[in-house]
Amino acid sequence: MRLHHIVAKDSLARKRRMLFAAFGIVIGIMTVVGILTVARSGRAQLYEQLERYGPNLTILPAVSSLDVRMGSLSLGQLGVGENYIAQDKVPVIREITDRLIRTSLDIRVPGPIATVAPELYATTQVKGANVMVVGMDGEAQRAIKSWWIVKEGAYPAGNDALVGHTAASLLGLKVGDEVVIGKQVTMVSGVLDETGSVDDSQIFLPLTVVQDAVGKSGLISAVNVRALCTACPVSVIADEINQTLTGVRAVAVKQVAETEMGMLSRINTFLLAIAGITLLVGLFGVVNTMMAAVNERVRDIGILRAVGASRNQILKMFVYEAVAIGIAGGLAGYLSGTLLAFVIGPLIFKGAPIGFVPSYIGVSLLLSIVVAILASIYPAYRATKIKVADSLRSL
Amino acid sequence: MSPMLEVKNITKQYGEGEARVMALNGVSLVAEKGDFIAIMGPSGCGKSTLLNVIGGLERLTGGEVVLEGQRIDTLDEDAFVGARRGKIAYVFQQFHLLASLTALENVMLPLVLAGTKSDHQREALAILSKVGLEKRARHRPAQLSGGEQQRVAIARALVNNPSLLLADEPTGNMDQKTSNEILEMFSRLNREGQTIMMVTHDPVIARFADRVVNLKDGQVVNGSN
Ligand SMILES: Nc1ncnc2c1ncn2[C@@H]1O[C@H](COP(=O)(O)OP(=O)(O)OP(=O)(O)O)[C@@H](O)[C@H]1O
Ligand SMILES: [Mg+2]
Repeated sequence: MRLHHIVAKDSLARKRRMLFAAFGIVIGIMTVVGILTVARSGRAQLYEQLERYGPNLTILPAVSSLDVRMGSLSLGQLGVGENYIAQDKVPVIREITDRLIRTSLDIRVPGPIATVAPELYATTQVKGANVMVVGMDGEAQRAIKSWWIVKEGAYPAGNDALVGHTAASLLGLKVGDEVVIGKQVTMVSGVLDETGSVDDSQIFLPLTVVQDAVGKSGLISAVNVRALCTACPVSVIADEINQTLTGVRAVAVKQVAETEMGMLSRINTFLLAIAGITLLVGLFGVVNTMMAAVNERVRDIGILRAVGASRNQILKMFVYEAVAIGIAGGLAGYLSGTLLAFVIGPLIFKGAPIGFVPSYIGVSLLLSIVVAILASIYPAYRATKIKVADSLRSL
Repeated sequence: MSPMLEVKNITKQYGEGEARVMALNGVSLVAEKGDFIAIMGPSGCGKSTLLNVIGGLERLTGGEVVLEGQRIDTLDEDAFVGARRGKIAYVFQQFHLLASLTALENVMLPLVLAGTKSDHQREALAILSKVGLEKRARHRPAQLSGGEQQRVAIARALVNNPSLLLADEPTGNMDQKTSNEILEMFSRLNREGQTIMMVTHDPVIARFADRVVNLKDGQVVNGSN
């Protein structure tokens, strides 16, 4: 038998009081775990949605409109600049992007980091109707539009075409059909599932095919850049591209994402503050219960002291009990918090999957043991101050 | 050689001003090894207070308590715990066993708290059989009669081999027969060399002792025998 056995036996004899003490902690931990779990799934869902925004950066030709005036007489607008970007600017864009990400995130591994996807827009006639045709780098495009699902057929290889959902149904295009653009004849290899974007009404072909067909060799209409990182310095990259390259305009598409993330983390902080208050209230509940436990045990403490317990040993016994309450409360709080998340999570973030987060077990235990010990300090101190003779005198 | 216990002119005051009570008012006595002393006197004369002060359950106001040559009244609480372990043990009128522990565990308690390296269980069982309760080792106090509970309490007091056994009306809650059994046990222990100091207000019980100290209003009125 050791000191903690004595505590265990005594605690078991007072199950109800112990459960009551643990309850205060369970409520607090439950709130914390519930909020963390829901927020985590919400963040995951938001990231997933942000992915769908596609490129982090879009580079377009710098076409600016100037008002041409003579005195107060307006002579109308004059388009200045080209509608195309020279394709040889693509490697420069890639170099700038990768270099800035590398320095900002301290990445040492060589090799390309960002996906850079050039596009060339043109129109052609299919079955008598005008259709927008996009020349693309098949692999880069696929990496950028990660949400694309090929519904029929397969993602194109060689000179084959990929047809958007709406275009396919409006034009009656099916896998194996021919698409003619200029002098180039290609075959439909796949049809995309609906995306809800302009992609639905477009036909995608290899860049070189479109360039040859419309006589725009070495030219592209736009470049999409996707860095696949949330901490990438997108606006810095945009600035440097704008300064280095003439005739192009780079736009960061990241601000929206940052605003939403910031909002989520502020809500998160607010909720955690509430959880903290709950935990604090729980702590005072535990102080109360432990104080009652000390009063209930005045005689027992007197007996222990009379048969040779030091004040230190009395203190230790209360700490052991606090740790036991903390462990029980932490585990129960983790479980009930996760259950709470399963219930309220879907109400807040529709469709966000909630799951057990094993790493929160450690957090729960640590937190609840700390709270239980904090709550026991004062009652335990009072226990050591009990006057032995007085505690034993009463009948 | 110094006596086992020397109590020199001790006083114990409770409260202040109007509420002031002198529970002990200059008590001196000496106990030699092997003594069986009965402390007698009317209710409220300070018998329990005297025992508590000697046992360190209570601090005294003035005077000295010297146990086996060591002055213990000046020790602080923590030092006192160490000084008392294995030297002074208590038996109370209300037994004061821990309800959540078995008889055996109650007897083991002083060994556990003292942290001795010995086999606690074996030692406790040996003492329990000495008080005739080895068959009740696994019972809880609530399952034992008053006499049995007091025998467990006596076993608990003896398990650390104390130099001095203090007993405050140990048979106060018992019928005649049980009381006699317990007192016979004290006599036997005393014949085996155990020094005992026992509080009682019953002259019949005091006869089991070989010396009686009479207290009145916190003072020794006579020491007979
Ligand atoms: N904690 C205390 N505060 C104030 N007065 C006390 C306290 N403890 C004891 N007294 C007083 O000290 C005096 C001696 O008490 P004590 O318990 O020693 O008497 P006793 O001789 O053991 O009596 P009894 O035979 O009834 O047990 C009593 O007058 C009692 O009221
Ligand atoms: Mg008394």
